[in-house]
Amino acid sequence: MKIAWLPAGVVEGVRCACLPRKMPLRPLIGQQTFFPGRRQLSTTPVRSASASITAASPISFVGGDKKNSGDATYKDATDEIFYARLVPYSPSYFTAQPYFIDDVLEVEKLAQKYAALPVVKRADAPRIAWITLMEYRDIVGERVNASKYKKVLHVLQRLNQIHPTVMPWDVKKKLKQYTRNINPYKNVPKPGIVDEGGRAIGVGKRKSSTARAWLIEGNGEVMINGKTLSEAFGRIHDRESVIWGLKATDRLDKYNVWGLVEGGGTTGQAEALTLAVAKALIAHEPALKPALRRAGCVTRDPRKVERKKPGHVKARKMPAWVKR
Amino acid sequence: MASPACWKCLSRPSPLQMTSQIQLRSATAAFSTTTPVFNVVKKKTAAGKLIQSKAGQAKTLRLKKKAPVKMGKPPAPGERKAMRKRVVLSNTNALAVPGMQDLKKDIVGNLGKEFVGRVLGIEGKTVDALRAAEAFKPHQSWCFFRRPGILIREETIVLGEKIIDAEKEGGLKLVLDGDRVTGKSLMLVSALAMAHVRGWIVLNVPEAQELTNAVTDYAAIEGSKLYSQNTYTASWLTAIAKTNAAILDKLKLTQEHPEVPIPLPADITLTRLCELGARDPEISWPILQALWKEMTANGRPPIIMALDGLQYISQDSLYRTPDFKPIHSHDLAIVDHFLAYLSGEKTFPNGGAAIAATSRSHAPTSKSMELAIRKSQERQFGGRVIERDTWGRERYDDIRAIEAFRNDENLRSIEVFAERDPWEKNYDARSDRALAKIETMKLAGLSRIEARGLMEYWAQSGLLRKQVDEKIVTEKWTLAGNGVVGEIERGALHMRI
Repeated sequence: MKIAWLPAGVVEGVRCACLPRKMPLRPLIGQQTFFPGRRQLSTTPVRSASASITAASPISFVGGDKKNSGDATYKDATDEIFYARLVPYSPSYFTAQPYFIDDVLEVEKLAQKYAALPVVKRADAPRIAWITLMEYRDIVGERVNASKYKKVLHVLQRLNQIHPTVMPWDVKKKLKQYTRNINPYKNVPKPGIVDEGGRAIGVGKRKSSTARAWLIEGNGEVMINGKTLSEAFGRIHDRESVIWGLKATDRLDKYNVWGLVEGGGTTGQAEALTLAVAKALIAHEPALKPALRRAGCVTRDPRKVERKKPGHVKARKMPAWVKR
Repeated sequence: MASPACWKCLSRPSPLQMTSQIQLRSATAAFSTTTPVFNVVKKKTAAGKLIQSKAGQAKTLRLKKKAPVKMGKPPAPGERKAMRKRVVLSNTNALAVPGMQDLKKDIVGNLGKEFVGRVLGIEGKTVDALRAAEAFKPHQSWCFFRRPGILIREETIVLGEKIIDAEKEGGLKLVLDGDRVTGKSLMLVSALAMAHVRGWIVLNVPEAQELTNAVTDYAAIEGSKLYSQNTYTASWLTAIAKTNAAILDKLKLTQEHPEVPIPLPADITLTRLCELGARDPEISWPILQALWKEMTANGRPPIIMALDGLQYISQDSLYRTPDFKPIHSHDLAIVDHFLAYLSGEKTFPNGGAAIAATSRSHAPTSKSMELAIRKSQERQFGGRVIERDTWGRERYDDIRAIEAFRNDENLRSIEVFAERDPWEKNYDARSDRALAKIETMKLAGLSRIEARGLMEYWAQSGLLRKQVDEKIVTEKWTLAGNGVVGEIERGALHMRI
């Protein structure tokens, strides 16, 4: 339905009902700050869901002695200005994304206003998980370009860098509006500990295998499930996988590994141990984490066996074609 | 209807053409434009055939298999086996290692800690002797090096000391044990080489399974419950003669041998005696007995007997009695002879050694042998084996007991902890008895120093084209399961990319 075709009086009401974001709910994202003068220019109480055209007050035909008439009549005339035509609720009305443009302007205005405040380095600013583009689109109900939203985030990031001791309340409020409800950065893994015996445990998984590895200072001895590395893994590739974290960081002759691993096959077990050894090593030497990440020992490989599908022989395999 | 003549051709149709056309037309059915059925030549189906099988079954495509193309001549009988058994002991492409010392008589007596990790070459004479004794095996990678050499490990030094001690009356009885590719067979080679350079007589059974898995003929010995393996004995005599030619040539018959069924000329050498036995398998066993009597006579050199694959002779053999009962391995004459010395039932009057190595690759499990080895370890170290330490060696629960055991002679009768599993049926009573008093040497991974020495030797031979430093030694040592020598070799020499 094209709203513009409707009679002028109905348009506003219908638009309010159709919009994903109701007018009064607008402050969800930003407090609409209209110029005081602007509101006076408008014939419509734009912010109300029940907004519709208010009829002009009846014209007084008292005659030319209007000014001389009673005070009340004169007051009425000054309060309720007559507007000849509908005035948009926002100067951005004729841009394609009025709400978004308003938001951009507000954020930029804040940034300008507090440009002189001291800032901290970007890395030192508190890490904030911004609402995602999709969430933002849902809120404003407009098609917002990713690149443009990124610019908003950029400004917000700059606001976030204002030194915490002088952070203005309105900036805080604005930042909160763009912050996700759940902070994923709070979810940090517990740092591993080295116990009183000098051991650190790491846990790793891969495919269906689960491994625990205890790392202790030593000279490169490895025991897996009570067996030596060569007994535990027949393939040399698997043996190399187990000690890959130590080898990549040149720590092979500094630690002994005592591991337990269960489930899965040999490759899974070996690579689960890679992860476990790396985590235990990080507990001993946290500074090695970037090196281990580069060696591919930190991230868990999430791949699992793909499920079988109906109509297929395996996950993807189709039955052989047979002519009827 | 179109003219039978070519329409572009201006010539008139000849009467001959006309008539042939008419005749042809009359032969075919009138007014039919379709080709007559009999003219259709059935096309042959392609190589594959779709075959409609019985109802309910899918059609299957059957393709004719092509016969494999025969290339060249198949190898002659025995050629494949010869290739399989071929032992190459030298490689002229390998670099000669400068400053490599040889294993000599005086070195064996003076092997000290400074030799650990060094590779000693084997002299040409000894190489020939050991080759004749089949001490070298095809899979031991001798073919990579300019000439054979043995790594001196800490255990080798201990073994050398034991061999020196065994030159007195009594001798040595020892079982070498350890995990897969820990160097048990190579330790046997070291023992044989050391004994040979010390002037011992060398007897070697390279594969115990050849004795027990019924691949050679056997015959009951009259007046005894033993079975002789005549063909094997004859070839063994040949090997003994070849291996010890230098010694046996100088030794002559000194005793009467009534058990030998042929008249023996007096004053023949022991080599000649071996040849007599080798020539006629029927009398090889009595000749071997006569040889043994001569070799153990007064004033003769010490003897070393080695056997690889102890498990094979710790159970029933695959031979059968006439009433089809299995013959126990201990009833085979050669095995019985070896075990008499390994078990301590007999001793070497002039000194000597009986050494057996276990096999961990695909040998049968022998519960009795495992128990005997464990008990022996506990006797030696004076404590219960509780777990394997990080070196893969077995750890004993009472360190003080070990110290006390080492220091106090009276503690030799220390309690032995390993017990027979009451629920286990596969113990072999005869093996239990035979192995009750054995002494064992357990081999595990190399130490770092040994591993480094070995890898430096490889580098000097031009095989390991890397700088041998602490880093690579550690890496290979760890990857090899804490220094298992065969695994180091596999990782460093065989798995090169």
